[in-house]
Formats: sequence, structure tokens, C-alpha cells
Amino acid sequence: MTGPVNVRDLAPGTSIVLVDGAEAEIVDNPRDGIWLFARYLSSPSDPSLVGQEEMIFAQNVAAVGR
Amino acid sequence: MAMKATRGYRSGLVDLRVGEISREIFVNEDIYAEEQERLFARAWLHVGHESQIPKPGDYFVSSMGEESVILCRDRANRIHVFLNSCRHRGMKVCRYDEGSTTVFTCPYHGWSYGTDGRLVGVPYFREAYHSRLDKEKWGLVEVAQLCNYKGSIWATWDPAAPPFAEYLGDFTRYLDLQLDGWDGREGQAEVLGGVQKWLVPCNWKFPSENFSGDTYHNISHRSVDLAGIGPSGASRRDLGERDASRKLHVCIPDRGHQTIHYVLPAGQLPPPAYLNAPIVAEYFRHCEEERQRRRGEEARLIGAPGEIFPNTALLSRQPRTMAVWHPRGPHQTECWRWFFVDREAPSEVKQFLRDYYIRYSGPAGMTEQDDMENWNYAHAASRGTIARRYPYNYDQGRGTAVTDYTYQGLSVPGEVIDLTEVQSSEQPMRNFYRRWAEFMEADDWSQLATWRHQRKAAE
Repeated sequence: MTGPVNVRDLAPGTSIVLVDGAEAEIVDNPRDGIWLFARYLSSPSDPSLVGQEEMIFAQNVAAVGR
Repeated sequence: MAMKATRGYRSGLVDLRVGEISREIFVNEDIYAEEQERLFARAWLHVGHESQIPKPGDYFVSSMGEESVILCRDRANRIHVFLNSCRHRGMKVCRYDEGSTTVFTCPYHGWSYGTDGRLVGVPYFREAYHSRLDKEKWGLVEVAQLCNYKGSIWATWDPAAPPFAEYLGDFTRYLDLQLDGWDGREGQAEVLGGVQKWLVPCNWKFPSENFSGDTYHNISHRSVDLAGIGPSGASRRDLGERDASRKLHVCIPDRGHQTIHYVLPAGQLPPPAYLNAPIVAEYFRHCEEERQRRRGEEARLIGAPGEIFPNTALLSRQPRTMAVWHPRGPHQTECWRWFFVDREAPSEVKQFLRDYYIRYSGPAGMTEQDDMENWNYAHAASRGTIARRYPYNYDQGRGTAVTDYTYQGLSVPGEVIDLTEVQSSEQPMRNFYRRWAEFMEADDWSQLATWRHQRKAAE
């Protein structure tokens, strides 16, 4: 079992896996420990998000990706 | 409560016909609460200086009355002032004094705002809000009006307040002395270092009236004069021009602003100063010449302590600082002091002035410590049931101000008392409290903008 991801440490370019199985790449990190700016690489539950840039809530980050 | 609600302010607690002001206005908690609504929510207030937020994303957390506000520069380089309170549950969205950021994120539930104030991040926006929350409606609360005046940032919560220049009226020239370069170029001031902040156990009006132009309390600074903290090692300041100038109290009666002011004789430059520091002395000598060349007759005006109503103090000459007296309850004031230099001054000059400023002003400044002692103990000794029964005396120089003051061809607008012979007056304090009473009584700006009524009547 892995613990919560410390999003403050994640650099732009890092890939993250979200709790709904989507994958995104970080484009900016305000380092507030709560938000990341990321671009969707995949989104099984809502494919329309792919390519979009959104703010990702830290609680929605399940793991650091590949 | 000792104050009777029906008594009114001007006719009762602030009685300028006899020069008496009740201690209640300094210590009464109900009056204090009313000030927040009637005064600090309606007046123009000083927030900071643009040199504190030079780049997009830069912010400086300030205060307007009791409210914490964020002064920031957005990505498009526009300056904003926002209430520092999350729209969701009110938590401060910024808990630092200053810095740079892309977003202001509330640490409580995570709502996040751009530097333009827009709500950009809402946790579980899709899941919990079903994407229905109108983010446009829930951005940070922004001030009703903001003015960047020569780099100094002013704001008001009241959309009906007059524009800042109109709020200043004829006091503009005194703020110009603060913000323009010593050589007379416009808007050359920059903030030197950080802002000094400290608490004093007194009502905010004690420092406000003191900086309105209290020359009567100079005896308090006798020990500092004797210690010789001035730039040339004597007294408190190098102000040789005082010996040659007319010393005035200048009040702008319909605005509530007032200041001490010196006017040099025609054609005369200030005598040399900073003589123990040749580079500094040469810089100011050059600047004085340039100022006279650029400003002509206006260069005869020499700044001194003054107050922009309600709680911003100017000190445009020596040491060149501004202060804001933030109310923190009826019995406590948070003092903030900004230190100014010409942005293009040589680094040796800035360094010399930094040392002098700190020696003089701020919590460690010897002169300001004298003042704090007075405000602290005067306030404490005015809180008791017996003490409150006895008003303060503001009778000095009552009825002696003139409105057509001219000295060797230079006209000085406003109500003026020439102090050169009489040494002191309390006209500035009466002016301050007259305006204070107007704010406390008026329903809105249609009543407060008294000069508009006079203009209309004249037409």
C-alpha cells in the first residue's frame, strides 16, 4: 500500500495517475500542496478531457505515473 | 456605556466650538465598532506601493481597517486589492506577508483563486458540485475602487466615494512631496527594504492626531535631541531650512487632511545638510538645485509630518517615511511604516538613509519610541470610569486660522496658521476630528462630499 503523494515535490513533466484511473502530465506546480496544473494524457471515464489542461486537486492524485 | 446614543458626535462628543473632545471616542467599544462601518469601509485607505510588487504574481498582504487584504499584480500586470478571505468559509487565502504566486489557495477546503481574483480551483467540482457552481460569481471580493497615485496604492470599499484625486483635494501637493524625487521629478520614490510593523496599546487616533501636526509635544523628544541622532550628529534632523522658513499648520477643512509645512523665502535654497557624509550631502545639494530648476516657486515648499484622513501619516522630509495606523480593537493599533528613497539615488545614499531612518522611526527608532510611550499611557489613563468624564482640551489657536495665506508671492491653500511666532496650534487636530465626526454622522458620500454642495451652491 502506498501513502499519499506529496504533490509539492512533483516537477513539471512528471506524469501522475488520478483516483479515477486517468493519467496526466504536470505543466506547473504552485507548490501549495493542494493543486497541480496538469494536462490529461488519458481519461477512461471522460475521454473528452484528453489534451485539456486542468487544475488537479491533491486528493485526486493516486500515484506518480511512469 | 457612558455615551448616550442620542447625544450625537459633533454636538456632543466632538465639540469644536469650545475645543473639547470626549475621551469616549478613544476608548468606547461601540464607537470603535461604528468606526469600522462608517469610516474604514468608506474612506480611501493606503494599501502599499507598487515597488513592493514589481513582477506579475507578486503580492503584499496589507490591511484596510481591520480587514486583511491582498495587494497583488496579476499575470496581465494589472494591480488588484482583494479581501483576504475565502468565499467558501472565510479562511485567509494568503497567510504570508509577501511573495510571488500563481494562485492563492485556501488551506481549509482548497478553493483556489488566480492573481486576478477569479475562482479557478474547486475540489470535487465535478463530483460534489456536479459542475454547477458558478465560479464567476465566487471570486475573491475586490475593492470598489483602486488608485495608483505615483506608485502608492490606495483603495476604498465604497463605490460611491469620490475619485482619489478629488478625495485628496488641495492636499495633493503634500503627497507629491512624499512620492516625487528629491530633485523634483515625478513619482521617483521606492520603498527601501521591508515594512516595519509593531503593536502599540492605544487607540489608532492617538498616532493619527499626533502626525496631523502636533508640534506641541516636542518636549517629549528632548532626550533624542540631546543624544543627537540627526544625520550630521546633532539634534534629530538636519533641517536648517527651518530657521529661514515660515512654519505653518495647513489644514484642508472639507477633506480632513492636515500637515506641518515650511515655506522658504523666495529665491532661497535649503542650507546644506548631511555634512558628516560628503556623498550624501552632495546628492541632496544637487537634488535641491534640480528641484528648484524644475519646480520654480513650488520648490520653496518643504514637507513635514502630516496626515491623510483617516490613518495614513506622511513624513516627506526627514526621515522620509509613510505610516498607516491600523485599528486592532479600540485599545490597540498596529503601526506599519514604509521607508522611502529616490529609486535612482546612489547605493551609499540609500544605505546612509536606511541607518538614519531606523535610528529615528519604527519600533526601534528613538523618536518613535518617545511617541509610543505617550500614546500608550495616555490611552491607558483615559479608560477608567472617572477619567472618561473629563474631555481632552483642543483649544490651542482656536479661531486664528486664515484662508488666504500668502508668503512672498506663494499662496498656500486651506486653513493656515503661521506657527513661526506662536510655535504651536491644535488646528490640525480640530480639522481631523471635525472630519471624523462628519464621517460618523453622514449616511453616505452624498453628504460627505461637502465641497460638491458648496460648488453647486456657488453655481
